Amino acid sequence: MILATLLTYNTIVVAAAVGAVGLAAGMVGALAVLRRRALAGDAAAHGTLAGVALAFLATGRRELPWLLLGGLATALVTLAALVFIRRWTRTRDDAATALVLGVSFGVGVALVTGITARGLPDSAGLEQFLLGHTAAVTATDAALLAACAVGAAALVVLGLKEATLVAFDDAFAAAAGWPVAVIDLALVGLVAVMVVVGLPAAGAVLVTALLVIPPVAARQWTERVPSLVTLSAVIGAGAALAGVVVSGLVPRLATGPVVVLACAAVCAVSVLAAPERGWLARRRRARWADAAWRESRILAALAAERPVAGDAADNALLRRLIATGLAEPATAGFRLTVAGRERAVEQARRRAAWEAILVVAPDDARAFLTMEVPDPATVIDPARHAEITRLSRTTP
Amino acid sequence: MTDSAGSGDAAAGPVVEFHDVTVAYSGRPVLWNVDLVITGPAVFGIVGPNGAGKSTLLKAALGLVPLAGGSIRFDGAPLAAVRHLVGYVPQRETVDWGFPVSVMDVVLMGTYGRVGWFRRPGHREREWSAECLRRVGLADLAGRQIGRLSGGQQQRVFLARALAQRARIYLLDEPMAGVDAGSQEMIFGVLDGLRAEGRLIIVVHHDLRSAASWFDGVALIDMRLVAAGPTASVLTPKNLRRTYAGQPTVLEELSRAVATGGRTP
Amino acid sequence: MTSGWPVIDPLHAWNIATAMVVAAGCGLVGSLLVVRRMSLLGDAISHAVLPGIVLAVIAGGRPGGGLVMLGAVAAAVLTAWLTAGLTAGAGVAEDAGTGVAFTTLFALGVVLVSAFASRVDLDASCVLYGELELAAFDTVSVAGWEVPRGFMIGGLVLVGVVVAMAVTWKEQVFAAFDPAAARAAGVPVAMLSLGLLAATAVTTVAGFGVAGAVLVVALLVVPAATAELLVDRLHRLAILAAVIGMLAAAIGYLAAWRLNTSAAGMIAVVLGGGYVLAVLVAPGDGLLARVCSASALRWRVAREDRLASMWREAEGTAGGGSAGPLAWLATRALTIEGAVERSAGRWRLTAAGRSRAETIVRSHRLWEAWLGRNVELPLDHLHPPAEWVEHHIGRGVRERLAAEVGEQAGDPHGRAIPPESARHRAGDG
Repeated sequence: MILATLLTYNTIVVAAAVGAVGLAAGMVGALAVLRRRALAGDAAAHGTLAGVALAFLATGRRELPWLLLGGLATALVTLAALVFIRRWTRTRDDAATALVLGVSFGVGVALVTGITARGLPDSAGLEQFLLGHTAAVTATDAALLAACAVGAAALVVLGLKEATLVAFDDAFAAAAGWPVAVIDLALVGLVAVMVVVGLPAAGAVLVTALLVIPPVAARQWTERVPSLVTLSAVIGAGAALAGVVVSGLVPRLATGPVVVLACAAVCAVSVLAAPERGWLARRRRARWADAAWRESRILAALAAERPVAGDAADNALLRRLIATGLAEPATAGFRLTVAGRERAVEQARRRAAWEAILVVAPDDARAFLTMEVPDPATVIDPARHAEITRLSRTTP
Repeated sequence: MTDSAGSGDAAAGPVVEFHDVTVAYSGRPVLWNVDLVITGPAVFGIVGPNGAGKSTLLKAALGLVPLAGGSIRFDGAPLAAVRHLVGYVPQRETVDWGFPVSVMDVVLMGTYGRVGWFRRPGHREREWSAECLRRVGLADLAGRQIGRLSGGQQQRVFLARALAQRARIYLLDEPMAGVDAGSQEMIFGVLDGLRAEGRLIIVVHHDLRSAASWFDGVALIDMRLVAAGPTASVLTPKNLRRTYAGQPTVLEELSRAVATGGRTP
Repeated sequence: MTSGWPVIDPLHAWNIATAMVVAAGCGLVGSLLVVRRMSLLGDAISHAVLPGIVLAVIAGGRPGGGLVMLGAVAAAVLTAWLTAGLTAGAGVAEDAGTGVAFTTLFALGVVLVSAFASRVDLDASCVLYGELELAAFDTVSVAGWEVPRGFMIGGLVLVGVVVAMAVTWKEQVFAAFDPAAARAAGVPVAMLSLGLLAATAVTTVAGFGVAGAVLVVALLVVPAATAELLVDRLHRLAILAAVIGMLAAAIGYLAAWRLNTSAAGMIAVVLGGGYVLAVLVAPGDGLLARVCSASALRWRVAREDRLASMWREAEGTAGGGSAGPLAWLATRALTIEGAVERSAGRWRLTAAGRSRAETIVRSHRLWEAWLGRNVELPLDHLHPPAEWVEHHIGRGVRERLAAEVGEQAGDPHGRAIPPESARHRAGDG
């Protein structure tokens, strides 16, 4: 039964279109987040409401293409206001964003409320642009949305190299002769387009999430821009589809919040569990580093027959050293076993090796030395390590 | 240094002790087992190449970054017990100079520790702050918004704020960065005055060239402590080579300057 | 509601009063948010308190009651914690981290509202716009007086905010200006930040009924951002922000009533208008001030150029007058000033005009001479800088230049440097 209600022609077309929007938003958002333009998109999104209302006033009908065009116009005005404030006043960037966002949304709210209060025919549906509602989207509208999304995605693929360059180091890009301002303008324009195209799916208040959350989630899994953009697109498309389906099943539930929560779920999993950058992995690494550090300190203290004056963590580690046969209780405190002494000697050797590297090749020391104090030969590239060894022999 | 040192004994000079201090950022050591005892009165420089962890050492002393290991004591006591005796001058770039406060407001901040919670600084604090401003030569700019000062003047305002604190030990982070020659002279003049009053002034300093002439004692730091002691015995060619291996020209100029007791160009 | 001014009607008066107390509280808290660069966190919190409020209402809390306040504060702390976790813990840029945290929490709130619509007296439009127009209908009895609940809550929040800010003021300023030094001096910066978060959450709850989730950010940020353009001391900024907020609340409400639209929306619009006004008229670096000083300079330069060119014409080292409307206007103005007169169909300098012109030409040639001597520039590169600098050289610098290059030397082009004139106009010193 549920499948039957879901699988009307219109629903399928709309779902496909919204999926395409999510996909493109994920791609554009990846570049916007890299370029630190994430919340400029939010200001633009809040600014769309006024344009939607104005377009409705001008045409007198609730036709999606006109409403979105109106939204795009005011979104661009909002962004222009933001740029103006940053350039010409001493208001700080964060305050400028919040200010433009609040005021432009206020204009939109005043217009929408005014229109609704005057009881113009068809005006009630305008509020759907606040939180997103795909129920009213027709197949024709969907085709428009999908076309815009595909166009935006194609532009991202075309301009990926340039956008990466500008996002990473705009000063270098400018010096190398790239038109940074034009690239930035194109990026912000794309953000504005995506914000507008995303309105039916997520609404003015939440459409930012489509641009921001997928790249943040994708960033946890990859260190490279092309795969970041791809992954972000996949997450965006999946979340948008989930939003359409779930809000179609639950009456009166707006699409936007569901889309956002779907994105957020993926993001939460990524931030927690991604293999390299994830919170759990970081925590585990930090614990290892701390334990290794403490162990080396304790071993050094025991080797020098100094008392281990440590805290609870030190004591726990001492117990583990005893359990693994590196240390043993002695008449006064503890002492190292033969294996323990070997380990202490090895660690002292590593330490000395790193100190020597710090003298002749400080950059290598900073790049590779971690709190575990690894054997330099295992972490530094062999050829470079040989050179450093030669250098430290020749340096008095 | 024994435990009897300092601990409230006002007659003895101020002392800062770093014991086995280790600081790490995301699993990488920034400071590595630094053992250092600095006794005052003195103007003491902490010198080393960029990224050597000099500023981190100060921040660790002030509890602004967590220690991975070790301990730091002021006059034999932990920071929490003697906080009002320790004055801090952060790097100039760390604050927003467009902030809506006047020069006087900033200097008054130095007195807040003594004024305590809930009370406003009164007439006495204002007079004392004005006196501190006079000592750094900015008395006539008291009412000005701090953004409308030159870099050197801003640094002097920070110094005046530290003076207003009446600390025993001052920690200054790169006070000479981006400061004109006139202000540098004035700042070191004020620091000399503080030493004469029996204080200990610890200055993180990036410029080896001027270190030789301005500091009584120096610690050379590059992740670990390379050497510490009276300036002439620390800034030796061998120590400098161990710290500035990658910068041979600076090195040669410097060892020559240290040898002749002069300054590098 | 049919005619006349709504202030007369006690219901409208109460609504306006409610909006004003809420706006005052928001303005005060917002001034700290703005100077601490936490505006976006304020924006995030105003969205993110929604799930906290909804959950508290589901648990039996009354709108604006203690439980709801607690829920909002918890949600605000959660937002800040999530943002910090994403930025510091997961290496996400701060604005993106904020974006993730608040959209997620707000979406959660909206879903909760939809799911528990029967039990929660909130709907999407109330969440987004607030219901200021209805504030006066929901009253509580205070000492025999019927006072709107929103006014009561807003008033209590305002009093709380004023007391908290007054008591911790100097620590707040220190922590906001220089957090590192404040921490080093023993100021509990983290506690103060937490307090600011809580204050933001509580004022947001009070503002919810007035302005809705999104427009609260306008009440928080815009008055303070406006005030920041006008004054340069923090206590003045805070008070001015509160006043601006209150004015905008009253004006916005009346405008909305006149235009039959959302009061919250109009308050935001009025705040935006106020900001634009401040951008234009702010003293010193306001746009109008900049335009005025730039045009004043241009006008002075035009007249001085005219004088100098007429002097050179008389000297015979330059031919022809300057063209263009500005030069024409300058000539007319100089005639009125008595520096120029027309005789026998030609413009001529009067004695006063000649003296002024000589000062300018003297500045020009001294500068050329000095440049020619001290900077290795080819002859034809000396004129352009001098052409600009001549308008900014005062008597003192002229004397020092003259002492250095010598009066008799002439400029590098071999022309005589006119002597220092005995007469000086005030603006030339």
